[in-house]
Amino acid sequence: MTISNAPESPVVIKVNDVSKRFVIRKDKSLKERIVNFGRSNKHKDDFWALRDVGFDIQAGTTVGLLGANGSGKSTLLKVIGGIIQPNSGSVERRGRLAALLELGAGFHPDLTGRENVFLNGSILGLSRKQTEEYFDSIVEFSEIEEFIDTQVKFYSSGMYVRLAFAIAVHVDPDVLLVDEVLAVGDERFQEKCMDKIREFQQEGRTIVLVSHSSAQVEELCSRAVVLAHGNVIYDGDTEGGIAALRASFGA
Amino acid sequence: MTNQAQERATRLAALPFQTSEPVGARHIGAFFRSIKEIYEHRELLGLLVRRELKAKYKDSSLGFLWTLIKPITMLLIYFVAIGQFLGAARGIPEFAIFVFSGLTLWGLFSEIVSTGTGSIVSNAGLIKKVYLPREIFPLAAAGSALFNFAIQFAVLLIATVVTLQIPWSTSIAYVPIGVLIAFIYGVALALLLSALNVYLRDIQYLVEVGMLLFFWASPIVYSWSYVVDAAQRTGLTWLSEVYLWNPITLAMLAFQKGMWVAGSRDNVMGQDASGADIVVPAQPWPADLDLRLLIAGVIGLVLIWVCQRVFSRLQGNFAQEI
Repeated sequence: MTISNAPESPVVIKVNDVSKRFVIRKDKSLKERIVNFGRSNKHKDDFWALRDVGFDIQAGTTVGLLGANGSGKSTLLKVIGGIIQPNSGSVERRGRLAALLELGAGFHPDLTGRENVFLNGSILGLSRKQTEEYFDSIVEFSEIEEFIDTQVKFYSSGMYVRLAFAIAVHVDPDVLLVDEVLAVGDERFQEKCMDKIREFQQEGRTIVLVSHSSAQVEELCSRAVVLAHGNVIYDGDTEGGIAALRASFGA
Repeated sequence: MTNQAQERATRLAALPFQTSEPVGARHIGAFFRSIKEIYEHRELLGLLVRRELKAKYKDSSLGFLWTLIKPITMLLIYFVAIGQFLGAARGIPEFAIFVFSGLTLWGLFSEIVSTGTGSIVSNAGLIKKVYLPREIFPLAAAGSALFNFAIQFAVLLIATVVTLQIPWSTSIAYVPIGVLIAFIYGVALALLLSALNVYLRDIQYLVEVGMLLFFWASPIVYSWSYVVDAAQRTGLTWLSEVYLWNPITLAMLAFQKGMWVAGSRDNVMGQDASGADIVVPAQPWPADLDLRLLIAGVIGLVLIWVCQRVFSRLQGNFAQEI
């Protein structure tokens, strides 16, 4: 793939030959490890979740990561987000990065909605002042005004996710990593989320999206990267990507 | 492309790349980069400390009083069982103040280590989903321990005023030094153990046992003079030397020297059968306590550096090991 160096689309993410190997140990406790000492290879499984994956992402593009279950797309997203370090290769990134990997990961059930907004905002990189500024708008977007001072453990799952999504979209990211979370809330709220994503695209934000929904990828993405067994098997426009994905199921 | 998009693109083009590479670099710069990163997240650290404190007693009606009930119960137990029944109070003047100052500092150290050890595993949800400098989780545990310590310390101060044992002497300077050393070692151990606990869950049970051992290996419910006496009686004077290698012992001695004024003077503790006064001499504080504290402090700082480096090497796989 050629990298266009046009000034209007600088590269924001460079994935350089990233490999990630997972070692799965079956013996967790000290006793088991001592008992199995020396035979430890039998109790280890390893496999390559990613193998020499490399590509660049330009600012303002929306990239869909596609692949069958276990093809390494979520791992790749985590490596891009810095949550997992690769075994070899490196990831270079710039700009403010926000990850919508799992909504509400930072929520504490015993705290109120209001306290969680501040906590989660801070986790996603907002300062206290910024959170205060956005607070009303966050609550308005989430549509749970009356419950904002209730502990979140009493929230319904829809309310929980709506509040989390509202915080995440107010973080003002340059790069947004999204993992299968756009199907949240009721239909109307989903529509609202989609509108927000389109608004993000208009504003030139970069979005990297993991999805199993071909329709969603077709609708939102300008580029598709298809993974199979930790390798990139396709990188290009979305129609070709979806075709390659279907082909990889057959293989 | 909209204007806003163009602005963003120009701004991004000017930004330098941040690289994430396989293994954390070993040189000293990496340590200071981590410190800087933690400093940039200080607001979050503050919020996490408050979360720990708020969530801990959220639905209990007594709330923060519980932070005091436990140490006061321990104080009563040791005061009655060890002080009166076993008779330690006969050789230790102002036994209640003595035990409570020991328990207060011990509470700080043990809470940092034990809640710090579990901090990475108990924040698994966050660690798997968001990139943050992971050191802030053990540090948040240390922060909330520090808060609980402050409450207990205030109670201790009130107790010294009530019993007219106000710690107003030059020795008061030892108090912050003792606290600092307990804090440094607590944080170093919390960093190391929290990272190891991800890979080997046995660590948290090991910590419980280790804490028990440390508790009785430090002069908390018995005084330093008992150790010196026992060493002389048995002729094993090197034993008291080994005892002083324990940094928590040193922190404890410094803290007691500052807070427990009765320990630094000769006390008349009643009369014997013939009517003569029983004098309990002042504590034989180690002569080179200052030097020992300094050495313990320096070693502690080096230990923090080592533990942080180990932590940063191990943290690369936290997200998949939890």
